[in-house]
Amino acid sequence: MIAIAHFIAITCYIGAAALAAVPFARPVGAPVRGVVGLLGIGIAVHALALLTFAHREGAVPLTGLGPSLSFAGFVLAVTLWIVELIAHEVTLTLVAAPLAALPTTFANVIGLTPGHEPAGVRGLWLFAHIALSFVGIAAFATAAAAGTMYLVERRELRSRRFGPIFRFFPPLATLDRVNHVAAIAGWLGLTLGIVLAAAYSIAYREMNVLQLLWGTGAWLCVSAVALGRVLGRWQARRAALYSSVSFVAVLVLYVAFRVAGPGAGNFL
Amino acid sequence: MPVIVAGISHRGAPVAIREKIAYRPVELVPTLAALRDRSGAREGVLLSTCNRTELYLVEGAGDALPFIWAELSARLGEEASAYGYVRRDREAVAHLFRVAAGLDSMILGEAQIHGQVRDAWSACRSQSGTVLNRLFQTSLQVAGRIRADTAIARGAASVSTAALQLARQIFGSLTGRRAMVLGAGEMAELALECLAAEGVRTAVVANRTFERAVALAARYGATAMHYEQCWEQLAGVDVLLCSTAAPHPVVTADHVRAAVERRRHQPLCILDIAMPRDVDPAVRQLENVYLYDLDDLHAVVATNLERRRAELPAVETVIAAEVERFWQWLAGLAAVPVLTRFRGEMERVRQQELQEALHRLGALPPEQRAVVEQLSRSLMNKFLHGPTVRLRAAAANGRGLGVIDALRYLFDLADSPTRDDEPVLPPAAEAARTTDDAQQGEP
Repeated sequence: MIAIAHFIAITCYIGAAALAAVPFARPVGAPVRGVVGLLGIGIAVHALALLTFAHREGAVPLTGLGPSLSFAGFVLAVTLWIVELIAHEVTLTLVAAPLAALPTTFANVIGLTPGHEPAGVRGLWLFAHIALSFVGIAAFATAAAAGTMYLVERRELRSRRFGPIFRFFPPLATLDRVNHVAAIAGWLGLTLGIVLAAAYSIAYREMNVLQLLWGTGAWLCVSAVALGRVLGRWQARRAALYSSVSFVAVLVLYVAFRVAGPGAGNFL
Repeated sequence: MPVIVAGISHRGAPVAIREKIAYRPVELVPTLAALRDRSGAREGVLLSTCNRTELYLVEGAGDALPFIWAELSARLGEEASAYGYVRRDREAVAHLFRVAAGLDSMILGEAQIHGQVRDAWSACRSQSGTVLNRLFQTSLQVAGRIRADTAIARGAASVSTAALQLARQIFGSLTGRRAMVLGAGEMAELALECLAAEGVRTAVVANRTFERAVALAARYGATAMHYEQCWEQLAGVDVLLCSTAAPHPVVTADHVRAAVERRRHQPLCILDIAMPRDVDPAVRQLENVYLYDLDDLHAVVATNLERRRAELPAVETVIAAEVERFWQWLAGLAAVPVLTRFRGEMERVRQQELQEALHRLGALPPEQRAVVEQLSRSLMNKFLHGPTVRLRAAAANGRGLGVIDALRYLFDLADSPTRDDEPVLPPAAEAARTTDDAQQGEP
């Protein structure tokens, strides 16, 4: 049941991305309702899968590699859905929906096996840290997606090519605004998540070096983008470029740690 | 031959011809009334815009075409048919649907013609009737559906709207943005009008001749300034529109660089619609500057029009289906007078037989008399219901025109007097009737 629900959610995410791409192939308007609706169905089914997992295992789906990847994909899909509802723009789905489908697919392939989860206050503490960190990463991914689209569209406009990207991508100002807001949201989420993690490590004298390195790296990247935008008043292109490149770096770092590091059943 | 359209349009007639034939709104009804008198046409609508003058008629007994050309030729002062075209029947219906949807317009898919068709029909309502009212109403519905369901009207199709499309793709909504217009000529005025319609908050007009700048700015609530002062204002502007008659670039890279630095990396959109160009091409290399000239705007228009043209097969499919539906309705209309006469004849026979029967029965109490009357009426209705329904259906699908003639023949309805406002058979019906007559060899 959980695997089938995951499969349906992945299909909805990919389907939403494909639907958002239709205007690039055929002369039709952006199917906003269809994309938002499909994404909403995917999120609902994904939530059902995670709830079923939590009910079956008696644990929140935050620990263990499979559950945490699935939860990461879920949070990213929810973030994307909220952005689309607010902005009435669905082209962001082209980049962000596959980003949500990817970890969900991995989770489904490797299977959802719960990791060790402490009970009581300690468990709640850990839950808050992981949830906030995932929210921060999802917002960071959204900023990176908006930044990538900004760079692509900017190049089209500067080189005076008036093809499908010119017609169907949102205005540069909209993408810049999404990048700005998402970078700040990502910074807030990751900062709170890391503060909780640091306090947790000190209180319970427990530390994972890889998690520390990766979390700190991700936090430094998103902090640079957020502070650059707010304090340094970075121009849109620099912020877009930096958020895209640094998010890819964070992903590469994660994959490298996963490959090199121990603990096959854990997120890191 | 019931429906005919004849006229001239931008496709075959230059503007010098079109402007001579164009009718003012007050002339439409008198012209149509006179034409109907002369030609015997039952209904008429005259559509006259800057790109076309067309007469839509539902013909009477004779051919209305010579009278249409006579009318148009008299107005032109020479033979109008040399520039014109004629469409009859289904083609006439399809033509109006294409016109209303903007397929026959100078700019493919333009929306203005929709309102012009509606206005022409409204103005000529006293001259139109069942057929043309239905035809024009349907054409407006079909055009609306085509615009909504296809991309035939999407994207900018003129230089000024392409300029706005480019600016919107950078800034999103232009409401509250600041714009500067260099020049005070016709193109500058058109651009200023478009910017004002988009909600641009502050528009600045700069021109070498200050008085012209003041006059133009006053018309659109903008601010006028001397040419030399405008560079100081450039940093506060989001959209710079250049349309001067200067023979060399007036906006240099130094002007723009200084402004961009003061704008703290905010984008600046420069639309150069002047010929020769007003903006030094080196400006394009500056960071955060988006410079577009006339070639770029034409490229946007061409891309959009190409996209609109790609929609033509889908649009033609919709039109073909709607023409068929309209024609079925028109064919169904042909059965109405025959059915009316048929039922009238049956009613006459019923009354006659009823009176005879009542006479033979002698003095009946009123309630018994009512029963007999009701019996005769009920029998007649039951006998006629099936044939009536089948006849209507057959006429509507175009296969039962021989049945209509058979009915005329069997019940001797052919010689019945024809009312003036009676709908006439569509040409397909006439053709089919001729064929049926030939096959039957009767009467």
